[in-house]
Amino acid sequence: MRVGIPRSLFYYYYGDIWKNFFDSLNISYIESPKTNQEIIDRGIKMANDEMCLSLKNYLGHIDYLKDKCDYILVPRISNFKNSNQTCTNFWAAYDIVKNLFPVNILHYNIDLEKGQTLKKGLYKIGKELNKNHHEIYKAYKYAITREKKRIKKNHIINLNKLKVNKTKILIVGHPYNLYDEMIGKDIIKYLIKNNIEVIYSDKFDSKITNPLSKKLSKDLYFKYSKDNLGSIIYCKNNIDGVIFISAFPCAPDSLANELAMRKLQIPHLNLVIDDSTSFTGLETRLESFLDMLGGSLND
Amino acid sequence: MKECYLGVDIGSISTKGVIIDNNNKIITSAYIWTEGNPVEAVRKLLNILKDKLPKQYQVKGIGTTGSARKLIGLMLKACIVKNEITAHAIGTLTFYPNVRTILEIGGQDSKIILIKNGIITNYAMNTLCAAGTGSFLSSQAKRLGIKVEDFGDYALKSKNPVKIAARCTVFAESDLVHKSQVGYAKEDIIAGLCKSVVLNYLNNVGKGKKIVGPIIFQGGVSKNKGVVKYFKEILKEDIIVDENSHLMGAIGIAVLARRNKTGHTYSLELKNVKFITKAFECHRCPNTCELLKIYRNDELVDSWGSKCGKY
Repeated sequence: MRVGIPRSLFYYYYGDIWKNFFDSLNISYIESPKTNQEIIDRGIKMANDEMCLSLKNYLGHIDYLKDKCDYILVPRISNFKNSNQTCTNFWAAYDIVKNLFPVNILHYNIDLEKGQTLKKGLYKIGKELNKNHHEIYKAYKYAITREKKRIKKNHIINLNKLKVNKTKILIVGHPYNLYDEMIGKDIIKYLIKNNIEVIYSDKFDSKITNPLSKKLSKDLYFKYSKDNLGSIIYCKNNIDGVIFISAFPCAPDSLANELAMRKLQIPHLNLVIDDSTSFTGLETRLESFLDMLGGSLND
Repeated sequence: MKECYLGVDIGSISTKGVIIDNNNKIITSAYIWTEGNPVEAVRKLLNILKDKLPKQYQVKGIGTTGSARKLIGLMLKACIVKNEITAHAIGTLTFYPNVRTILEIGGQDSKIILIKNGIITNYAMNTLCAAGTGSFLSSQAKRLGIKVEDFGDYALKSKNPVKIAARCTVFAESDLVHKSQVGYAKEDIIAGLCKSVVLNYLNNVGKGKKIVGPIIFQGGVSKNKGVVKYFKEILKEDIIVDENSHLMGAIGIAVLARRNKTGHTYSLELKNVKFITKAFECHRCPNTCELLKIYRNDELVDSWGSKCGKY
């Protein structure tokens, strides 16, 4: 028996927990490959035209996996309590997949307002895969300890990057956009090639960054907007600029971007990505942004 | 022999060339349409410049900017290839060291550059959408049967500009068709169009930015008197349009070429330079990248478009 894990959306938040959990339970799994043009095209074919690029992408990954495994892990992740909602796409992903693909879905529900925690979610998966309570508990502990270590490690790496004596740019965005081969990868590659120290917003511990967003607005609704904005506030004195990457047409991001751009006095570049294949337009914007930060415009 | 520097700005609609001397003085310039073929346009441009350039000058540096900067940079073996935002800022600062805001509307993009004490502090560029740029105006001019150069004069005649949706050109176009079909006068429609370009720009590109004077307006659309008028009206500030406003990018890149000169002397003669591009699609992986190979005198000088870096 094999579980399929789509390398998109939730993967970039929970992929490590899932993989560790399955490893500990001795369940084999298959991850879809890094996004390529074919996967995006498959996703676009399945998707409704108003879905964001990231969700189209997600459907492409499911389409890739549909005949390669017995189960596909499609979570429903709704909220993390204290008005930390997730995007409606995250709520809907489960139903969309269920209605579009004839596949077995591994149920996994996170809804802290209704008491559905990460632990309960993993138990549900374990039971569905016929594991006993003891095995599941062990696997849960294993996954969660490793996850805590990972978060701590990433946070420290980021803090060390802030001390480096180079031009430092904070890349703000959802990890499923930043690290996706077809969305953010080229941008990050370009920055690194130009000798920029790249700091990733999602690698800060969200327990620290999330509450900081209150300084910008108390009415923020989405967890990931709060994490993102909090990360800018957290390191704003130690960075030279912010690049905000979002996928077209992400509504929460468009709000978060405006808030950061208008309220914080940091050089800011917003890049909105769609499935256009040309890098030229992005390159013009990136190059001029770096020119501005580097002061190379002046004699 | 006196030294001089060539800046070429190859935009989507027009191609501009400027030759400056060591004191940033313009010796000669040319402005022609790109017509979708940057390579041919630059051949034409250099022919014009070659004839206009006094014999005592020697070209010691070439710079390229604009959307075809990389391609033409290879063709001319430019000593510097830079994006148009940087080039425009440098060009403008050369003539107006006190400028605070640069508004620029070109053929397919528009930008705003904020400057304080001669240092760029912020800029923005249109994102996905090319609404309200020069190419939109040209296509509407064609629809109305008017030369785009005459747009400004028509707009100034109007006392009563019609309201046209300022958000999106698709809606703007349906507004436009509707207004002309119900009988509004041509000049009122054109004036409305110019106003919508300004509103669109301020909503999309200028949003949230503090626009302070002195303001300089440039790019091809700055030649449109109607658009200038509405910028003045809406911003309630004076708008400076330099007579060379359309050349600022080319001037900026020429200045950069002077700063980056290598000692090499360039010829403006391109007759013997064979320059071709070959496009093909790679099928080695599912990404099916569109690749472009560039040959200068039958020698492969560069290839673009591959994600993996194989080419």
